[in-house]
Amino acid sequence: MKRRTFLGAAITGIGVSLIGKAGADQPPIKIGMSMPLTGGLAGGGKPSLLGIEIWRDDINAKGGMLGRKVELVVYDDKSSAAESPAIYSKLLDIDKVDLLFAPYGTVPTAPIMPLVKQRGMVLIGNFSFQVNSKIHHDMWFNNAPWGPADAWASAFLDIGQKAGGKTMALLSADQEFAQNLAKTAREVAGKRNLPIVFDQAYPPNTVEFSSIIRALSAAKPDIVYVASYPPDSAGILRAVSEIGVGDNVKLFGGGMVGLQFGPVMAKMGSLLNGVVNFNTWLPEPGMYYDGTKAFFDEYSKRAVPAKVDPLGFYLAPFGYASGQLIAAAVTATKSLDQKAIAKYLHESEVKTIVGPIAFSADGERKETATLQAQFQGIVDNNIDQFKKPGKQVILFPEKLKSGNLITPFEAARK
Amino acid sequence: MKRNAIAFWGASVLFLAAILLSAELVANEYWFFAGYVILQFIVLSVAWTILGGYAGYVNFGTSAFFGVGVYTAVFLVSAVGAPLPVQIAIAAVVGAILGFAVGLLTLRMQGIFFSIATIAITIIIETAVTNWRELGGAAGIQIQRPPVTAPFHTYVQMLVFVQAVLVVISVAIARYMQNSWIGRGLQALRDDELAAECTGVPTLRLKLIACVISGALMCAAGAPAAMYLQYADPASAFNLNYSVSVLAMALIGGTAHWIGPVIGAILLGVTQQVLTVTISSEVNVLVLGVMLVLFVVGAPEGIIGLFKRRRPEGKA
Repeated sequence: MKRRTFLGAAITGIGVSLIGKAGADQPPIKIGMSMPLTGGLAGGGKPSLLGIEIWRDDINAKGGMLGRKVELVVYDDKSSAAESPAIYSKLLDIDKVDLLFAPYGTVPTAPIMPLVKQRGMVLIGNFSFQVNSKIHHDMWFNNAPWGPADAWASAFLDIGQKAGGKTMALLSADQEFAQNLAKTAREVAGKRNLPIVFDQAYPPNTVEFSSIIRALSAAKPDIVYVASYPPDSAGILRAVSEIGVGDNVKLFGGGMVGLQFGPVMAKMGSLLNGVVNFNTWLPEPGMYYDGTKAFFDEYSKRAVPAKVDPLGFYLAPFGYASGQLIAAAVTATKSLDQKAIAKYLHESEVKTIVGPIAFSADGERKETATLQAQFQGIVDNNIDQFKKPGKQVILFPEKLKSGNLITPFEAARK
Repeated sequence: MKRNAIAFWGASVLFLAAILLSAELVANEYWFFAGYVILQFIVLSVAWTILGGYAGYVNFGTSAFFGVGVYTAVFLVSAVGAPLPVQIAIAAVVGAILGFAVGLLTLRMQGIFFSIATIAITIIIETAVTNWRELGGAAGIQIQRPPVTAPFHTYVQMLVFVQAVLVVISVAIARYMQNSWIGRGLQALRDDELAAECTGVPTLRLKLIACVISGALMCAAGAPAAMYLQYADPASAFNLNYSVSVLAMALIGGTAHWIGPVIGAILLGVTQQVLTVTISSEVNVLVLGVMLVLFVVGAPEGIIGLFKRRRPEGKA
């Protein structure tokens, strides 16, 4: 009896080790990236990475790609442009990764573009803004829904002009993303002969905005386009709530970074009402695709222990979508050949949890899918309200519209 | 003395030849990326030591000079398409002028007041560049590298060689200053400025010379960074991390001799590169802090101080 048990155990053991060996014969597919896990962009980098990790676990549960497991090689770039070139060189030359994802944000991404182009590697971009406009790397694919450079400002100004706006004010932070937005807003306003009656940039880390808001409201604009960063977004809305911006303002917001992050939104509460702002994903009808709900169920479970944004609407699903893009291309081409992957992504539309994605020749989205949505009926100190539909009503794009604009801005704030 | 000079220049030529040869022998490009960063820190910390070590004026404005170097190169490339040597030469001139201006404004202050003034200058220059839309402003600016010139295979290999030449130049200058009347004068004013002044040492003139040379070398070290990154944004170019790292490198290596900052930069630069890709960048900063505290307590004269204690007759 004992001997039989021993024999059984031995055979099982050998069997298991053989299966293990078969798996080990196939080395994992390595995907390399740097991610801002510390520094100014870390608030976005962490949820983005969690989205990518959820995709890795999902695809590995299904057997991986080409029968090989997927492994992520991730280094922290401190949100700095100076760190990422050496990291990507290490990923390519020492770690010998098979595929590359870009770090979150423009600043750490811009310096790696020349290296990646020189090595002929596909790079899946992560929410950077027009980094390929000068480099022209034909294997660059940005996961962000921005689309053409001017689409963002056009959408916002469309809504404002339809609401009767004839003049515009521009308030922007002196930081990379905000200045890019302000630049395109100026260009679009110029094309439409929309006079800019107020154009002010403020230094980063400004906390007191009452004098700026007073000057802005004295210019009596109809549309106020704000391109700001998380701490200043809060300061601006606080000043607006104390002083007001005047009765002629029909539309306020546009490019306020921070109003997409759960903790910031919960803290701001009712101050958000009436603001029309950009977003990438919202829990509105029409935003759910195959796998979207399952992703957010899993994300909610993992976000709290990982100490990242408990909502994760803005970046996390796009991290997952980056994985889906590369998986679709690798599976369809049955190879890790960079040229074949790039050709596939240029020619095909890939179904992802954030909707179908198709790329134009420059590697940005063919059509913009950046949402403009208005905060409506928000109460204080309640983060769960943002998980329900109807709190951020989508006004653009037309096909996803889920409600109507309340205007003027002062009326919408009540 | 003469034998020392032959040994120094011989070692310099060997060092440059080794870098040149590595472009042929080493295929793995990561070593060039990592090496570039370390060489850049050697130039910066040697430059820092000229004012901070020899004269004892602790400068927190390394990032200001470095950033000005980066943006001078960016300006020259985007405006007239200047080649790399011209970028470096003009950056050095700009750095010297800036060093002179900063020195005139701040060198009458001493101790902590001088250090605070240098931080203020970093902030002023960064704010000016942030608002300079032609240079990309806060949004940053992308620039294109020209094709690489022979015998190098990639542009980064060439940048490593250029940075190595800057290392030799900066060490040679620091070495000359240390052994000349300038070094002796600076040492006198570091120990007691009033006494030095009374005995006829032209203190302000010497401090200005140190400030001009230090500024020129820092800006020259920053200029190739524009081509290394092909992108510049004020937050990264004027990052205070440069000031802190360079200060730590010089203090850990030792500031009394030119070899101190070289040792400190190699030690900390390598540690930082290794930690960034093994543990995390956050630990990297922590390690820097811990090492600095340990050295300040255990070896206030840095690594070279430890050797000197063993060999008290050690020659400068």
